[in-house]
Amino acid sequence: MSIELGHFSLILAFAISVVSAVGGLFLWRRGERLAMAMGQSAILQFVLVAVAFLALVQAFVTSDFSLKLAAANSHSLKPLIFKISGVWGNHEGSMLLWILILVLFGALVAAFSRRLPADLTNLVLGTQSLLTAAFAGFTLLTSNPFERLVPAPIEGNDLNPILQDIGLAIHPPLLYAGYVGFSICFSFAIAALISGRIDQTWARWVRPWTMLSWIFLTLGMAMGSYWAYYELGWGGWWFWDPVENASFMPWLAGTALLHSALVMEKRNALKIWTIFLSIITFSLSLLGTFLVRSGILTSVHTFASDPTRGLVILSILAVLIGGAFLLFAIRSPSLKQGGLFAPISREGALILNNLFLATAVGAVLVGTLYPLVLDAIAGVSISVGAPFFNFTFSALMAPLLLILPFGPLLPWKRADMVAAAQRLTGAAGLAVFLTILISALGGVSISLVPIGLLLGFWVALGSFAELVERSKIGRIPVRESVRRLVGLPRTIWSTALGHFGLGVTVLGIVAVTAWETEAVTTLNPGETVELSGYSIHFDSFEQVPGPNYAAEVGVFSVTAPGGGVSIAEAERRIYVASGTPTTEASILTYGFSQLYLQLGEPLTDTHVVRVWHKPYILLIWIGCLIMSGAGVLSLTDRRLRFGAPQGAKRKVLEAAE
Amino acid sequence: MAFCHNRLIEGGACFSHVLKHLGPMIFWSIAIAVTAIACAALFYAARGRTVNVEGSELAPENNHFRQILAGIESDLATGKLDADQAAAAKAELARDVLRAKNENQPRVSGDLSQGMLFGGLAAIAVMTIGLYAVLGSPDLPAQPLAERPEARAQTITLDDAVAQIEARLAQTPDDARGWTVIAPAYVEQGRFADAANAYRKVIELEGANPNLLTGLAEALLLEANGAGSAEAMTLLQTAADADPAHVQSRLYLAAELMRQEDYDAAADYWQQTIDLAQGEEPWLPAARQGLAVAQADGVNEAADAQEEMIRGMVESLSARLDTSGGSAEEWTQLVQSHIVLGDLDAAQAAYDRAVAAYPAAFDRGELDTLALQAGLTLNKGTP
Repeated sequence: MSIELGHFSLILAFAISVVSAVGGLFLWRRGERLAMAMGQSAILQFVLVAVAFLALVQAFVTSDFSLKLAAANSHSLKPLIFKISGVWGNHEGSMLLWILILVLFGALVAAFSRRLPADLTNLVLGTQSLLTAAFAGFTLLTSNPFERLVPAPIEGNDLNPILQDIGLAIHPPLLYAGYVGFSICFSFAIAALISGRIDQTWARWVRPWTMLSWIFLTLGMAMGSYWAYYELGWGGWWFWDPVENASFMPWLAGTALLHSALVMEKRNALKIWTIFLSIITFSLSLLGTFLVRSGILTSVHTFASDPTRGLVILSILAVLIGGAFLLFAIRSPSLKQGGLFAPISREGALILNNLFLATAVGAVLVGTLYPLVLDAIAGVSISVGAPFFNFTFSALMAPLLLILPFGPLLPWKRADMVAAAQRLTGAAGLAVFLTILISALGGVSISLVPIGLLLGFWVALGSFAELVERSKIGRIPVRESVRRLVGLPRTIWSTALGHFGLGVTVLGIVAVTAWETEAVTTLNPGETVELSGYSIHFDSFEQVPGPNYAAEVGVFSVTAPGGGVSIAEAERRIYVASGTPTTEASILTYGFSQLYLQLGEPLTDTHVVRVWHKPYILLIWIGCLIMSGAGVLSLTDRRLRFGAPQGAKRKVLEAAE
Repeated sequence: MAFCHNRLIEGGACFSHVLKHLGPMIFWSIAIAVTAIACAALFYAARGRTVNVEGSELAPENNHFRQILAGIESDLATGKLDADQAAAAKAELARDVLRAKNENQPRVSGDLSQGMLFGGLAAIAVMTIGLYAVLGSPDLPAQPLAERPEARAQTITLDDAVAQIEARLAQTPDDARGWTVIAPAYVEQGRFADAANAYRKVIELEGANPNLLTGLAEALLLEANGAGSAEAMTLLQTAADADPAHVQSRLYLAAELMRQEDYDAAADYWQQTIDLAQGEEPWLPAARQGLAVAQADGVNEAADAQEEMIRGMVESLSARLDTSGGSAEEWTQLVQSHIVLGDLDAAQAAYDRAVAAYPAAFDRGELDTLALQAGLTLNKGTP
């Protein structure tokens, strides 16, 4: 009965969301009473969808194959954690997870934004309910996770073996939290457009949600990249796969939004652009989640798709996104721009940041969609591969990274570029020195590598310039400097840390791209292969049964260049239910570098072994973690932000000095 | 409940029977209660205490401006801002306050009426119950695997089943049905001698029929590892003669005659099976090919033609990849084709060109495995 109760809960949540959407969006002027009901409705929706989700989880855990979804995606022998994560390892279940996170965010808005004016509450929660209604309706009518099977089969089909990994338990929930979190920004943008209430308070309400979603999205993407790296068995960490691009675009747009909302919050400027970005970011999130399911794209992430579903999804996207932009087109001319500033100022730098990020979004969007459009119109099928993205993207990011350290040093409203440049000379010098040193030591020939390194060091070191500047290190006693550092607002620390994290990621990408080495060979137990100073000795080969798979395990002992022996166990698994093989690579970590060992296909009398040395690859993900940490730090700073404008007299005064 | 008095129904079964009838009732009671609670919660939220609406419209902004002012003061006090900056910030703040006052119009018009509220709640209840009635299956109970008796029965392995039947046959050796069941199970297990023995038993007990004779012949052929015994041939012949429409025996006969290189006789049987076919049978393509080979006196012309075709395709693929390049899959296809045709030198050459086109092992995918398998040289000889 629990399955049916879950089903009923989901339908009830859907009905409530439909009525709330109509009520919130049409009666938003009706004030306080409606706002109270809207808040209650948001919380009810969350509770009911949570009940539905738990019913699904219970059916999976108890291997109830009278649930069609469990029969298709679970197996009674699967370990518990994968039975649970298997709930969202498929189209229907992941839709429900998506909706669960959507209503969770709605409930959070209802719970934490009690001080919001009634009309804004009505509109925000009304839009939120509209989204819930659209996607719950889609789920119930075209891909119902609660469909039953009579008679129930005795055993399930098992989950795709690649997904039977801890990564599935973490990556989608994080990523969805990121995607869906931007729905709040979207709802606030719609509310601002309808009500005309658009000011600094608006930005103040929206920014924490932007930051929260951005943190989740950053972590989700980093996790997805690391998962692909260790699970797919090829040691690649980014493939420019359409679905990765689909998650990357909202991240770029979200990063832009984060910066433009800052300008709006502190200086009441860039209002219309911020509203526009909010809509764009969530639209890209929707695209990210649903393009995959429409059947237009095929990739590792594709769930079984059917044409009706695709059509319905595309119509929902068209109506939601198109409707939002229509509203924007009608209302934005009547919105007031505010906050004037000179081209060279903090605002100006942030606009530049937004320009580059927005162009990057455009480039990725074109690279992802162009082949599809061309195929549809001209019938020519081309593939836009990594070279296009690598070139275009680096070309766009290089200038952005170059100007990045200047941003935080420029005062609001109007700034002195030369003064900012002077303060960065230390960081620049150090970056150049480190690059030359590394290039000399590593014997790097003339190539793009030193430029990449230089940019990485420049961003990483330059991000601390503001801290150095503010604490006056070297110019006043050390104790005083430390006191100033500790007393700095956490937002300044978070800016520095966030930019530092980006620099670290850039360094990791440059290092691994430039210096990766690989060897593919056949080995028998007892034989040894050498790679980049590492000596890999094949100790033994065993066959080990697992819970729902049979594994071949190769045991290797790896001697590092500096001595020290580690044992690596690489596996090849055959899953019983599906008969599909997967590889479980063995990864040894040396500092920030890794040795990646993969046991390949068995040959008649020997084994294929692939070994990669990935120098400093961990920096890529450590950088992402630092960025997310910076976001958390910024969230903890609940102090009101305002941008002290640089008075026009100041320059005159300085000149007089 | 009269049916429960029937003693043949066990207690547990009776209980579940009752539940099956009560299930939907219990379910609907819970479902309607949940709907009612949700509607009540919404109703009381809307009817509950309301804050004094008057004058609260500017409150959030005022609060915001006050906090900014406090922030400026504190920054001025701690020296993060100098007097000029603070003055500029305050002036800007004052402008903002004025602007906010001017823009502020009454945003609230009216209140949520009783009718609207009840209308909404009724819509929720009707929509929920209506939609569930269409989509749900309220009478279908949950069936967790642990509570399903047939799940345990299914887990019996073939070995266990065979052992159970053997034990029963040891007591009642004249049970023809037992032997009929166990014979194919023996074949499955690879115990061909036992299978042949079981078939003989059934024939002895029930008399011969074409299926049994073919089964026995199959067991004998498999036991002799394909080298058909004379007895098997006689049995198949008898089966085929007994039933002019028996396909299985004819297929075995044809295959066996092919092995003995008696192509005329084999062609005859292939033709018979093809005549008997309806057109959908899985063995039909094999029979047609068999007939063609038999008519050509054992020379597989089709295979020769196929090899010729592969050669042609390989040459054009090779030429195309050399001039305009191609995907890793196409290179793999080329190398694979050379290996299949037995031309390892060409395969090595093709592989080397593929490596030049795709220097990273990551991009080459399964190509390296293929090359290693065929004994080609990788990593230019040095790993």
